[in-house]
Amino acid sequence: MKILACPLAALPPGEAFRIEAEPPIAVFHTEDGELHAIDDTCTHQDASLADGWLEGCEIECPLHASRFDLRTGRADAPPAKLPVRTHQVAVEDGDIYVLPSDTPPNLPPGVTVKGTT
Amino acid sequence: MTSVPEPTSPTDATGLTGVTARTGSSVIPTLPGRYYTDPEIFALEQKNIFESMWFCASRSSDLARPGAFKTVQIGTESILITRARDRSIHAFFNVCRHRGATIRTEESGEVKRAFQCSYHAWTYDLEGKLIAAPNLTKMPDLDRVEYGLVKVHLREWLGYVWVCLADTPPSFEEDVLGAVAERLGTVELIDNYDVAGLGVGRRIVYDVRANWKLIVENFMECYHCATIHPELTEVLPEFADGYAAQYFVGHGAEFGEEIQGFTVDGSEGLERIPGVSEDQDRRYYAITIKPQVFINLVPDHVIVLRMIPLAVDHTVVECDWLYLPDVVASGKDLDKSVELFHRVNQQDFDACERCQPRMSSRLYAKGGVLVPSEHHIGAFHEWVQARIG
Repeated sequence: MKILACPLAALPPGEAFRIEAEPPIAVFHTEDGELHAIDDTCTHQDASLADGWLEGCEIECPLHASRFDLRTGRADAPPAKLPVRTHQVAVEDGDIYVLPSDTPPNLPPGVTVKGTT
Repeated sequence: MTSVPEPTSPTDATGLTGVTARTGSSVIPTLPGRYYTDPEIFALEQKNIFESMWFCASRSSDLARPGAFKTVQIGTESILITRARDRSIHAFFNVCRHRGATIRTEESGEVKRAFQCSYHAWTYDLEGKLIAAPNLTKMPDLDRVEYGLVKVHLREWLGYVWVCLADTPPSFEEDVLGAVAERLGTVELIDNYDVAGLGVGRRIVYDVRANWKLIVENFMECYHCATIHPELTEVLPEFADGYAAQYFVGHGAEFGEEIQGFTVDGSEGLERIPGVSEDQDRRYYAITIKPQVFINLVPDHVIVLRMIPLAVDHTVVECDWLYLPDVVASGKDLDKSVELFHRVNQQDFDACERCQPRMSSRLYAKGGVLVPSEHHIGAFHEWVQARIG
């Protein structure tokens, strides 16, 4: 089921929006004008990637500088090893929507999705 | 607890304990020796002077790019100064808000975009806001500004970053600008030198094994000039009268007739700063801005000394020689220009280091004396005593 993120106008290029989903999702508007959504939580340690550093199509975790490819979710730089999930993004009537992936997330140690173990 | 200084006893306050008080004596007492050796007095000075007043911490141009930083010890605190993306300068206590680790241990450096504590990775942006920490999203009640790095008051003037660690800082206009006005007659006269617009031609850092007050007292008088500063006295012959330096309001010592410039051998200096007036040409002005800044004005450059007192018997002095930006950029030979005051500095700091070990002599327990051309130092002593209570 798709989730409403925010109005497109509220997310200028270079910025990120965090959706308080389970688990949280980060939507990025790249400087090139692309929209991408990935799991917000770094797979290495519990940190919000929405608070990280966006460069091109890569997000760098603010804690330990792991980098993830926004298009594939791949961990491009350690210490993270596992990818984050990517999610489909759509803009309808000026609003950004995300369709969450139904694959299991790679959450860091100690972080669980509510209702699971 | 050991003995607490007693500077406020009535006899001390009138300065009559040091020497045998004689009515009409030509000499007045200095501070007692313990003021230069007692760590408890130094601790009071750290708290009531360096952590309470405006402190000139860095040349603004030392923080050239966003993310460039310096750490400076001010009193007992370490202060982290940096430039943000919008080019504004910010100064913070160099203390992680989590468990108190030192954020940056280097004297200077550059971060890409944030300050991260190396202990638990609490991460702050260049304006001090807490932007990331492990599990931070699980602590939504943690306000990112409230738990950001704690700022200290900051002003930029003369191209320097002045900070004040007090909760409510004293008036910058009264304390800092006022000191310049008191010496030059009016604060506008320093504007002629466009100190903020000058470039750093040379910086020399001196590690001085002496109490900071010995350095201030030395800078305030010229009774020693003819003895230890032969080159300076050659350039400024009136310094041989012992009264020069900072004794008369608005007076600048005039260059000797044969002197072409403020250089080690009196040869021609560099390009004159355009705003310097005819009255100011061929003259030297010295200004003390308490507690830790000395400014020297000559027609073609400005020399700024900043003291960083580290211990009761240890003071670092950073000295900048500032010239017109074109002069610095041209790569002109500054050696003869710099050498004059570099020698003065070495001569002065050698003298201070010669005094420091004897400040604890039982002979100096009650201090020494100030001759008439040094009597104005008595006001500095009274000021210190009043500050430390």
